[in-house]
Amino acid sequence: MLARAVPCRPCRLTNARLAHTLRTYKEDPRWPGWEVIVGIEVHAQIKSRTKLFSDALTSDPGVSHNAHVSAFDAAFPGTLPRLNPICVDLALRTAIALKSDVQRRSTFDRKHYFYSDLPAGYQITQRYEPIARGGVLHLSSSEIAVGIEQIQLEQDTGKSTFDARHRVSTIDLSRAGTGLMEIVSQPDMRSPEEAAEYVRSLQALLRSVGSSDGNMEQGSLRCDVNVSVNKPGQSPGTRCEIKNLNSVRFMMAAIASEVFRHISVLKSGESVSQETRGFDEDSGVTFRLRSKEDAPDYRYMPDPNLPPLLLDTTRIERIREAMPELPDETRARLQILGLSRRDIDVLTSIDSGWEVGYNGEIGKGATAYFDALSVGRDPKVVVNWMTHELLGQLTIRRKTFRENPLSLEQMGSLIDLVQNGVITGSSGKTLLRHMLDHPSSEMPIELAGQLSLLALQEGDSLDQLCAEAIAALPEEAEAVRRGNVKVLNKLTGRVMKSSRGTADALSARKALERLLIPGGANS
Amino acid sequence: MLQSCPKLSRSCRRPSLPTFLRGLSTGAELPWQHAVRTKNGFVNAIVHTASTRTNNADGPLNDVTVAVKDNICTADMPTTCASAMLRDFTSPFDATVVRLLQSSGATIVGKTNCDEFGMGSLNINSIHGPVVNPHGATSLEMESARHSAGGSSGGSAAAVAAGMCDAALGTDTGGSTRLPASYCGVVGLKPSYGMISRWGVVSFADSLDCVGVFGKDISSAQRVYDVLSAYDSKDPTAIPEDVRARARGACSEHAATWSSPTSSDLSGLKIGIPQEYFPSTLNPSIISSLRRTIRALQRQGATAIPVSLPNTSYALSAYYIIASAEASSNLARYDGVQYGLHVQRPPDALATDPASIYAHTRTAGFGPEVKKRILLGTYALTADAFDNYFLQAQRLRQLIREDFNRVFIVPDPMAAGPIVPTSAEGVHVLLHPSAICTAPPLEEAARTAGRIDTYVQDVLTVPASLAGLPAVSVPGGSVDESGNGGAGWPVGVSVVGQWGCEEMVMRVGKAIEDVGKESFE
Repeated sequence: MLARAVPCRPCRLTNARLAHTLRTYKEDPRWPGWEVIVGIEVHAQIKSRTKLFSDALTSDPGVSHNAHVSAFDAAFPGTLPRLNPICVDLALRTAIALKSDVQRRSTFDRKHYFYSDLPAGYQITQRYEPIARGGVLHLSSSEIAVGIEQIQLEQDTGKSTFDARHRVSTIDLSRAGTGLMEIVSQPDMRSPEEAAEYVRSLQALLRSVGSSDGNMEQGSLRCDVNVSVNKPGQSPGTRCEIKNLNSVRFMMAAIASEVFRHISVLKSGESVSQETRGFDEDSGVTFRLRSKEDAPDYRYMPDPNLPPLLLDTTRIERIREAMPELPDETRARLQILGLSRRDIDVLTSIDSGWEVGYNGEIGKGATAYFDALSVGRDPKVVVNWMTHELLGQLTIRRKTFRENPLSLEQMGSLIDLVQNGVITGSSGKTLLRHMLDHPSSEMPIELAGQLSLLALQEGDSLDQLCAEAIAALPEEAEAVRRGNVKVLNKLTGRVMKSSRGTADALSARKALERLLIPGGANS
Repeated sequence: MLQSCPKLSRSCRRPSLPTFLRGLSTGAELPWQHAVRTKNGFVNAIVHTASTRTNNADGPLNDVTVAVKDNICTADMPTTCASAMLRDFTSPFDATVVRLLQSSGATIVGKTNCDEFGMGSLNINSIHGPVVNPHGATSLEMESARHSAGGSSGGSAAAVAAGMCDAALGTDTGGSTRLPASYCGVVGLKPSYGMISRWGVVSFADSLDCVGVFGKDISSAQRVYDVLSAYDSKDPTAIPEDVRARARGACSEHAATWSSPTSSDLSGLKIGIPQEYFPSTLNPSIISSLRRTIRALQRQGATAIPVSLPNTSYALSAYYIIASAEASSNLARYDGVQYGLHVQRPPDALATDPASIYAHTRTAGFGPEVKKRILLGTYALTADAFDNYFLQAQRLRQLIREDFNRVFIVPDPMAAGPIVPTSAEGVHVLLHPSAICTAPPLEEAARTAGRIDTYVQDVLTVPASLAGLPAVSVPGGSVDESGNGGAGWPVGVSVVGQWGCEEMVMRVGKAIEDVGKESFE
């Protein structure tokens, strides 16, 4: 396992070599005799209410074109940037979560190119002095640690779409100027699966600290992947960058496709040339966008409007002290509560789709619901009700956890009614289904009364149901009297059925024994 | 290559009289309105006239008329930056300085002509045509006798000199306020960098751009500066209040030794004369004019001390690298997509990428001087040139700043770390000629435009810009008959102080103004 105790400052190449030599080669049946090296640049949109350098609102997917655009976003003359401190705080949370070394001084630079979705003709980024350097992300399944090279703040671009039929380009600047965190990994991954786990773990981490939705499908998290292939024991091969992958599945397919392409180039005796490639989602193969020779000169320049970002210890410590719980910490805590790995997986996977609040407000997902329900209750009982009953019934109804209509008070009270024997377990399940189908603010105890689901207590009403069962099934009753106790199950079942679940099975069995076998109930 | 400037008299666009001026041409017409009506036709200083008056009758500037350079955004008038690129552009917002003028009751009379995007020293790079220096000019004068008003804020200087307003806003990136002030015989203040908000000021080179203030005298410029000098959270380079207060404190402390509002005694004032500011190209008659000013100040008790700023010779190169690099970046936004000029690409032209489509708009929209600087700046930022040009220029800029810190008695309030104890040897301000010559004739200017010697003039003004220091050009009399060619034309004297020492610089400026008056009397 690769542990990175010291934040890395040296250049990318040195670290690539270092990482390369530290991982032992493991043969992959898909490409025996070849080693694959993967590094990933992730662009994660910062979930701040307003943009990185302007007061315009950020946009959720589906916002109409150019709804959130300020004069600055459209690069009007005379406008100036103003750094949004919330974006800085959220980047700091991310850096701390990735054990990255927050830089006391970072600077902003302009990266120049002409494109219609970039109105100023440059993007403000942190080329020379990023906000954080180094760091590590542990992947629990692969059991590896992926080094983080650096985290930088930058502006997102607008969107331009080409309408081929009308031959018109449409430009939408709602996204232009939204804050991004560019998170650059070390080339520490050795397979498409490790790459996938890295991205998923990073998504979970960003959501847990509330810094990004991390949603690839909606474009709030985008990946550029660097892939190279070499013979084990030899130095890394020439890398190619695959740009703009917008799902984990496509990213894995793109890496595999690129690995096969490199191998076939190398096998034919040629050498791989360094280039930037795209991925065709229909054919599942990568294609060349531009070669190294065609690489644009971005004419990086320190931004003369933005003074260096100076972060004092007080500010960094304030963020560190208020850090939300990270995914690893949540798992460890749930394990201590006695939850099974499967239950933990279920809770945390629901949370991974949970929406993150603006400006670092932490989303209230399944784990938070569980935590609140567990106060004063047995966590194992709570997780059973949540995973088996509540989530199961929501799934049957094609609903997500987000659409769960049961308040914490309702769900907690339902669990308590069953635990205290006020209603039976099966009545509890019936009641839950009823509450899902008829959402209301009524408490379970009132509904149980209305639906006659309150448990039959030992005594008259239960005895009466038992007597009816004995009368209805005389042969079975006789068999029990003769000592064949197995037949009791059939009689108990009859009682349960006629009680519509309000009877407790054990109580019913005891009552039947008492009626059929004198002294039997005590044996 | 630079083309000759448009012919003056016929090609210039003349703004029509504003509504509030019509009907006032008889009887109730105020002197400034008379000046606009009678002189702007040939001076060509004002290119858009204000149609509405926002007046705060109780404001501190309620009796002041101000013109605003056409690269400062106004919501109710166009902001063309004298460029074909923005010929029909009106900003959706007012610059902070415009808002401050309005809320303090000033009457904004209109927008003034300038060099395109502030690039030029003669105000001949303008879609509105050149500005004619109003000094001694009449509408009947021959074209050959017309002189430049200087640039790039030539319209603002000329408007004040012609009496069309009491004060005017310009911008100063490398001398664009001080030079036209010198040529036109008015006061031109370039404040310390970061003192006046740049929100709404169209960027030429952000790290150098300052809003400049012109006045018919020191007191009018001071009144306007006092209103505009305020922290603005919309400008990320605005200097915060605590630093301003610290600088004011240091400045007052050092000014207290010689300055008294009630007395003209200057005993204790130490004036540095930087030896590097007297290049061989300096017109001898300008030196004799400066000498007269120094002698007059000495008579009031001031001490003149020769000083050296050894890195001055690098200033010009450093300035043109930094200013052009930033300009190439700042002007990348003019692509004809969101606003401004848009030129359809010819049907047979390449449409492979946005850059090749923008090229048609940018080729048509920018004038030759702007194109030249964009190309220079683009080159300075390329990967191969960046270290040798851009970074080298930044190092020189630091050396120039250190040169100034070594000669001033007032410590640099912007310096990091403990403030170095001030040297008793230090001077309060520096004094030097504002320009190497008087206003050149426009015909000659057009002929020599783009030649390397047209940039040599900047050697006197760019060091203060690179160091972010306050500098004011004050009329220092006019060149006497002994001068060759410039007889009777105004010359300016520049006073430069430590960062934040506007008060000191303006007091010395006032002393120069006063001794000038005495010598005329």
